[in-house]
Amino acid sequence: MRTNYRVNSGVRFELLSPDQLQELFDGVLHLLEYTGLDVYHDEAREILREAGAWVDGLRVRLPSYLVKDALAKAPRSFTLWARDGNPQHNIHIGPGRAHFGPGPTCPNFIDVDTLERRPYVKSDVPSVAIVCNALPNIDFVESLGTVSDVHHELGALYEFAGMFPNTSKPIVAWSYDRFDSAGIHEIAVAEAGGQEAFEKRPNYVHYCEPLSPLTSTFEAVDKLIFAARHRVPLIFTPCPIAGGTAPVTVAGIVTQGAAESWMGLTLAQAIQPGLPFFMGGVYSVMDMSSMILAYGAPELPLMMATVTELAHFAGLPLWQTGGCTDSKTFDEQAIIEGSMSVFFSALTGGDLTHDVGYTESAMTGSVFQLAAMDEAIGYSRRITRGIEVNEDTLGVQAIHNVGPNGHYLREDHTRRYYKSEFWYPNLCDRRNYEEWEMMGKTTMKDRTIARVRDILATHQASPIKPETEQVIEKVLAEAEERVKAE
Amino acid sequence: MSRVYERLSTAILEGDADKAPKLVERGLKEGLAAKDILDNGLVVGMNEVGVRFKAGDMFVPEVLMSADAMQASLKVLRPELVASGAKLIGKIVMGTVKGDLHDIGKNLVGMMCEGAGFEVIDVGFNVDPEKFVEAIKTEQPDVVGMSALLTTTMRAMAQTIKAIEEAGLRDQVKIMVGGAPVDAAFAERIGADGYGSNGPAGSDLAKKFVGAA
Repeated sequence: MRTNYRVNSGVRFELLSPDQLQELFDGVLHLLEYTGLDVYHDEAREILREAGAWVDGLRVRLPSYLVKDALAKAPRSFTLWARDGNPQHNIHIGPGRAHFGPGPTCPNFIDVDTLERRPYVKSDVPSVAIVCNALPNIDFVESLGTVSDVHHELGALYEFAGMFPNTSKPIVAWSYDRFDSAGIHEIAVAEAGGQEAFEKRPNYVHYCEPLSPLTSTFEAVDKLIFAARHRVPLIFTPCPIAGGTAPVTVAGIVTQGAAESWMGLTLAQAIQPGLPFFMGGVYSVMDMSSMILAYGAPELPLMMATVTELAHFAGLPLWQTGGCTDSKTFDEQAIIEGSMSVFFSALTGGDLTHDVGYTESAMTGSVFQLAAMDEAIGYSRRITRGIEVNEDTLGVQAIHNVGPNGHYLREDHTRRYYKSEFWYPNLCDRRNYEEWEMMGKTTMKDRTIARVRDILATHQASPIKPETEQVIEKVLAEAEERVKAE
Repeated sequence: MSRVYERLSTAILEGDADKAPKLVERGLKEGLAAKDILDNGLVVGMNEVGVRFKAGDMFVPEVLMSADAMQASLKVLRPELVASGAKLIGKIVMGTVKGDLHDIGKNLVGMMCEGAGFEVIDVGFNVDPEKFVEAIKTEQPDVVGMSALLTTTMRAMAQTIKAIEEAGLRDQVKIMVGGAPVDAAFAERIGADGYGSNGPAGSDLAKKFVGAA
C-alpha cells in the first residue's frame, strides 16, 4: 500500500492557467449576453426565447445563467459506437483521450492511381472509408471531399451512403440541409435497429457549421434542430479566420468562436437536454499575403490548444483540428505541418481531431497525407502515453541479473515489455543501408503510396445488414426523385 | 515423414526451450536418424525464423528464444550426431576482434549458424589476431567470422586478416565480417570474403561459402 502517491498517467501539457481560462470563459459569456448573435431561423429564435433568451429581431442574446445551465446539461463523457459492435472501433469520449480522423468537403482529391489532383468523385468515397477503416490510428471517418459527379444537392447523401458500408468506425456526417440529415439518419437507424436502439448506441455524429462572425445560419440551425430532436450527437463548429472573420489575437478569436458554438449548445440543450455536444472547430490565421485560411500555420495548433482547454474547462468535448497542410503535394512541408499539429492535438487531448489528410489549405483531400499522418499519430501517441513507474518497470531484478558487461536481450523482463514499451513504425524505415538499398531505396512517399494501395487491394470492412442496404437504395432513389421534381 | 519433425520445427519457431529437446529425445526413441532430426526438424524451424525476422514478423528477443530452444535441442542431439559420424554442413570459428568487448551480435550470428546446421567454435570477445590464427590451425574451420561494434575496433579486423595471411592460412578459410559500423564496402577493402548485416544474413553467407545455400 502507498499513501499520498500521485501518478501522471501520460505526458502533462498545460497552456493556460485557471485564471486565464476563467477570464476567457467570462469573456464568452459576456459576449453572448451583451452582443449576442444573429440567428436566421424563426423556430430556433422562438425555442431560445422560451428558454429565457432575449430576442430582438434576428439578434439573440443569452443571459449567462442560460449558457451555464446548457453547459451543465451537456455530458463530458460518452461513447460513439461502431456500427458492427467491434469494441476496437468504439470511441470513448472523455478526459485525456485524443481521437483522429479526416475532414469533409474538399473539392479536389489526389487520385490514388495517377497521383494527380482532380475533382472529388463518388467512387472516391468508399476508398477513403476503407483506408480509414484499416489505419490503426484513425478513429472516425469523414469523406475528404465533396462528391462532384452527382446532382449538386445530393453530394452529402451519396457521401454517407458510400462511407457507411465501407467502415464500421463512427462516421461524422456533414449535410447540406434537413433532407440530407433525414436520409442519413434513416440509414444509420436501420443498421442500429430502430430509433430507440440508436439513441442508446449512436453510430454517427452530425456536423453543423455556423458562420463567423456571430451568425447562426438557417441551414446550420435547421440541421441542429433535426439532430437534437433525433438525439444524434452533435458538432457545432465555426471556422473563424483571425484577422478576417475574427479578431487577430488568439484570445479574441477563441472568445468569438466559443460564443458561436455555445449559441448552438444552448439551442440544442433546450431541445434535447443531455445531448452529447462537441464545440468546434477550425481556428487559424488569414495569411496576409495569399488571403488563405492557413491549415499549416503554427497558430492553428496554438489556437486549437486554447479552445481545447477552454472546452474542457467548461465541461465540453472538442472537435479539434490537425494533420493538415497548406502544401499542394506530398512533400516535406506537408509532413512538417501535419506532424506538428497532430502531436499538439495529441498533447492537448483534442477529443475528435479532424482534417487529417487535408492538403492545399482544405482544397484537396489526400489519403496519402492521411496514411502518413496515421504514422505521425502513432508516434505521438507513444509519447503522450508516457511511462509507467512501478517495482517491475524499475527492472532492478533484471539489472541485477545482467550485471556489468552483460546484455538484456535474453531477459524475461525484456521479453515481457519490448512490444508494449516500444512503438513499431509502419512507414518509417530503420533498416541499415544495405537492406534499404536491397528493398529498392524507397522514400517515405513510396512506402505511403504502397501501403494505401495495398489496403485498397486487400482490406474490407465488416458488412452492413442486408436490410440497411435496401434502406440506402430507397433513400437515394427518393432523393433523386425529390431533386427531379424541384 | 514423422510428425516429430513438424512439431520440432514448430517448437523451435515458438522458442520453446522445454519442449524442443523432449521432442528430440522422442525422435531418437522412435528410431529417427540424428542427422534427419537436425535437417528436417531443427534446421527447418531456424530457417523459418530467419525468413520471418527478415520480413519484420519476428524481433530479436524472439529470435534469441528460438536460438535457445535450438541450443537446448542440440545438447541432446550432439552426442548422437557425433556417434553416427554424420557430417555437419561446415565448421565456423567466430569471435569479436581485439579491443572490442561486445558479443551480442556475434552470439546471435553464431546461434543462427548453429541453427543452419554448422558447428560453431566461439573464441569469445577481445580476441587477439594470434588467437584467431591458432584456432584456424587447431579447428580447421571452413569459415571465420569476425565481429566489431565500434568504429575504433574495426581496424582490428584488417589486422586479423593480415595475421591470417601471414600465417599462410588465408586460402583455407572464407572470412565473413559484421557489426554495426561495418558494411560491404569495408569488408571488401580489408580483404574479407563477405559481410552480413544481421544474424540471419550472417548464416546465409556462411551457407553460401560452403555451397549449402
